[in-house]
Amino acid sequence: MKGHYFLASVVLLLVVGLAAWQQDRTPQPIAITPTLTGQVEYCLTCHADIPEISQSHPVATFGCVLCHGGESLALTADLAHSSMRGGANPSDLSVVEASCGGEMCHSGTPQVERDHIQRVTSSLQATYAGAIAQVRYAFGAQKDLTARMGIFAIDGLAAFDPSLENSPALMIFASNCLSCHLSAEPMDGQEYSRWTGCSACHSPAPHTDETQVHKLTTSIAYMQCNTCHNRGNYSLADLQFHQREDAPTDRLHDYYQPIADFTRCEWTLDCEDCHTRQEVMGDGHIYSSKKDIQYIRCNTCHGTLDALPLTHTITDENDLALRLAFLNPVIDLKVGDSILMTDEGEPLWNIRVIAGESGSAPAYELYSKASGQRYTFNPVLGSTCQQQADQQEARYCHECHATER
Amino acid sequence: MNAMPPKDKQLSRRGFLGWLLKGSLAGSALLGLGMLGRFISFQSAARQENQYDLGAASNFPAGTRKVVVDGLAMLISTEEGFRAISLVCPHLGCPVNMTDEGFSCPCHGSRYWPDGRLRNGPASRPLTDLRLKITQEGHLILFKN
Repeated sequence: MKGHYFLASVVLLLVVGLAAWQQDRTPQPIAITPTLTGQVEYCLTCHADIPEISQSHPVATFGCVLCHGGESLALTADLAHSSMRGGANPSDLSVVEASCGGEMCHSGTPQVERDHIQRVTSSLQATYAGAIAQVRYAFGAQKDLTARMGIFAIDGLAAFDPSLENSPALMIFASNCLSCHLSAEPMDGQEYSRWTGCSACHSPAPHTDETQVHKLTTSIAYMQCNTCHNRGNYSLADLQFHQREDAPTDRLHDYYQPIADFTRCEWTLDCEDCHTRQEVMGDGHIYSSKKDIQYIRCNTCHGTLDALPLTHTITDENDLALRLAFLNPVIDLKVGDSILMTDEGEPLWNIRVIAGESGSAPAYELYSKASGQRYTFNPVLGSTCQQQADQQEARYCHECHATER
Repeated sequence: MNAMPPKDKQLSRRGFLGWLLKGSLAGSALLGLGMLGRFISFQSAARQENQYDLGAASNFPAGTRKVVVDGLAMLISTEEGFRAISLVCPHLGCPVNMTDEGFSCPCHGSRYWPDGRLRNGPASRPLTDLRLKITQEGHLILFKN
């Protein structure tokens, strides 16, 4: 009988010892209580070395769980990460509303310019509706080029389901050619490396060693855009992606594909210096082609022989231009400044009017959103340009101003 | 030649097992007590105070503007009396910075005049007024919520 007691005591010692060892391995929690949630989080116990993601999302205010999800009080990695949204990327469009949404955050009303998620999820970059419409039209699945289907269903678009298509070509298209929309995992290779969702543009690409950069920014260099753009072409003939064949070693040759014509300002600046929020992130409407939403032209900034570019003078401290300049302070914009404005009324907040000499046309200064570098330029008005009034597209400007490569 | 120890000094097998039994029970008890102690002594995140004694009201003559509560509130003393405003931006909860022109939020750029009125968004409200009370002893008590 005593042997049983002995055995039981040894088992008890082992169990208690194991529990004590486990407890000893558990890290001492580092707690934060974000002001926005008021809920304790232990995430910093393991992640204290992760830098702040942006000035607008300090961890003391937002914490981690509000955006990333996860189990806030867990002290083991598996449990803590078990309910995270979007893995390492809470901006993936499948979870973005839960992660980044909210009236005061990124799914507010258009009136207060907080409808980012609504605009992006209906944009061509997310729906790929234009390409889908064109390919379905090419293979007889629809009678015109109107967008009817997207990568996912959204108001005005049904979900594109290749298994319901009659043409085998559309299944090949779905298999080979849907790698560049905002929900698609990128193709293999560092040149294609990017996140999905908002982070496809607003976060640096993951490193080759799989380390990740915890950053959100509106300062986006052309290389970020070129993880999808200018990397090659999709061919309708064989429904394959054909990687560009040159091996560019400098910005001039890397920026655009060899087939493109462009001017000095196009490759010197970054894409976001010209292309606006509406063009890139959408305006909440469904479009059938990027031509329908891309409206910036050379004359948006340079004007024409008859007219100066449109300008907007900042008179209100709540002006959207000031808010955008605050997020990426490359320019010391203030009330009283005049900036350029697009035909659609979007502020080109990084381009300010500077006074020309008395009686002469004004000049303009542009601050690169990615590098902060300052450039100055003049309007067409008063120049020796021989541009015709009905020739305002970029290709006409390229006839004289295209860069030699 | 070694002599065998007397039989009554030898540890019998039964006695040895008895000692082991007591030892393992004592070990289990010690480990268990240690774990219990650690469990009991665990300090969860400090509970946030809701009210703060700012000291004698007479320490804050008219014209005083003093940051209190670890930088999260400002006591403003005027000829009309005392007032306290939260230094947390009502937009999304970031602590605001003091500037020459009042306050500014480093997160999204909202700005406030020195008395807490909203100067520009994205916030849509002024800095929040906090409740103050003067005790019978003349101490100023600030309530954060």
